[in-house]
Amino acid sequence: MARYGMVFDLRRCIGCNACVVGCKQENTLPDGVFFTRTLSEEYGVFPAVNRVYIPTLCNHCEDAPCEKVCPSGATYTREDGIVMVDADKCIGCGSCAVACPYDQRTELSKDLFTQGLFGEGELTPFEEQGYSRFTPGMVTKCDFCSGRVDAGLDPACVVTCPTDARIFGDLDDPDSKASRLIRERGGRPPLPEKNTSPKVFYVD
Amino acid sequence: MSTRNAPIVGDSFKLGYRFQRYWDTPMANAFFFGELGAGLFFVSLLLGFVPGMAAGIVITCILKTYFHVSHMGVPTKAWRAILRPDRSWISRGLLAIIVWSTFGALHVLNLWFGLEAALGFGPIIGGLIKLIAACAALVVMTYQGFAMSHSTAISLWSSGLMPVSSLVYSLTAGTMLTLVFGWNALLAGQLGLLVNAALLLLVVIAVVLLSLLHGAHHGSPGGRTSVELLLKSRYARYFLGAVWGTGLILPALLLWAGAGSYPAVIVAAIGMLSGYYAYRVLVFKAGVFEPIMSFRP
Repeated sequence: MARYGMVFDLRRCIGCNACVVGCKQENTLPDGVFFTRTLSEEYGVFPAVNRVYIPTLCNHCEDAPCEKVCPSGATYTREDGIVMVDADKCIGCGSCAVACPYDQRTELSKDLFTQGLFGEGELTPFEEQGYSRFTPGMVTKCDFCSGRVDAGLDPACVVTCPTDARIFGDLDDPDSKASRLIRERGGRPPLPEKNTSPKVFYVD
Repeated sequence: MSTRNAPIVGDSFKLGYRFQRYWDTPMANAFFFGELGAGLFFVSLLLGFVPGMAAGIVITCILKTYFHVSHMGVPTKAWRAILRPDRSWISRGLLAIIVWSTFGALHVLNLWFGLEAALGFGPIIGGLIKLIAACAALVVMTYQGFAMSHSTAISLWSSGLMPVSSLVYSLTAGTMLTLVFGWNALLAGQLGLLVNAALLLLVVIAVVLLSLLHGAHHGSPGGRTSVELLLKSRYARYFLGAVWGTGLILPALLLWAGAGSYPAVIVAAIGMLSGYYAYRVLVFKAGVFEPIMSFRP
């Protein structure tokens, strides 16, 4: 069984946010809800200034703190390592949200499902179809586009990235591009001191 | 790659510290009333003050439940929260509340209506009911602190002192309320004991808070950011004024100088509870997520 993970190549990310838009479209995310973000930071002193882009999403941790604290059993890990949220079981208590060190959980408040993307109190057919996978009030997150992965496809953010800065693959396969990048360029997980064993790595 | 100098960025697409916004005032209210009710029950149980025990159960069962449900995204599935006591402190706490409210209510009914005689069970079973109620109340007094400290996400909360602060605040609130409610019902010796206990507990709270802040400040950059929010910047006025001034110093002075006066005890209790409530709200508001990395020097 594969153990899926992702590598972000910080040298390649240009901060275009195409991944963010691709993710929102694939997952039909309501207004203001993001499963992935490209964060930016400016540093240095003029004229030696720089800006860096850091893509983020759920790290699908091996030792996922969100799963450990979930009182209803809604958060679980698939055999392939993808951490999922069962919309039928989530009670929206938010304990997973405060337990995730990466702030990757999102509350889907009920008004998001009535207001609509255009804020006119009316849902488009696109929203009506897409929102059916969520329970209003639940707390959810990125699932590596598990439906696409099951169909043998890469997550939407990966295929949308124009610079190939997001690399998805089997971390247990030493020949996968993701494994090779981690090995050859010293991939490092975010906040390793939190001891969550993320399956997302950064290389620069 | 130190995150020490990263800014607070709110919910923007910037790298920096982000406020936790998932547990806010309704959750603080639920935590406050849960610990308040359990503390009142526990202290009243120790003194055999039945109205205090009943009030403690009512406060927790009605107000804590109301605020939890108002916070919850899918309240119709709230029952599912008891399903994972093997790993979740929320589940453990909810089970403890069910056990405590059941056995606590049985104990109150036993004391009020003499269930032992009416139903024919002996003092051993009555004592067992009391013991179970007391143990479950202790869990209710502390589990919220464990729920916060269990995870390493928010450095301010990730401390073994968080459940200790829950316990001592709960005991203090229970002591103050028992003093207020039982002023005319308890014996003079019991009132004196409660005043001394409250003074001691206020000192313990001060020590626990100082240790908590010290540990968070020196533990991680996120903890330091939270402590600075509480002591120097956004929330300093409320934390120093309400939590310390109104919640600890004022009641300590009033109890020390005017313990024989009922109005002084009432004002001390109001001050202590105000400070305790402010603590509950501010600890949520000052919790921050650390940036996953930073390139600032």
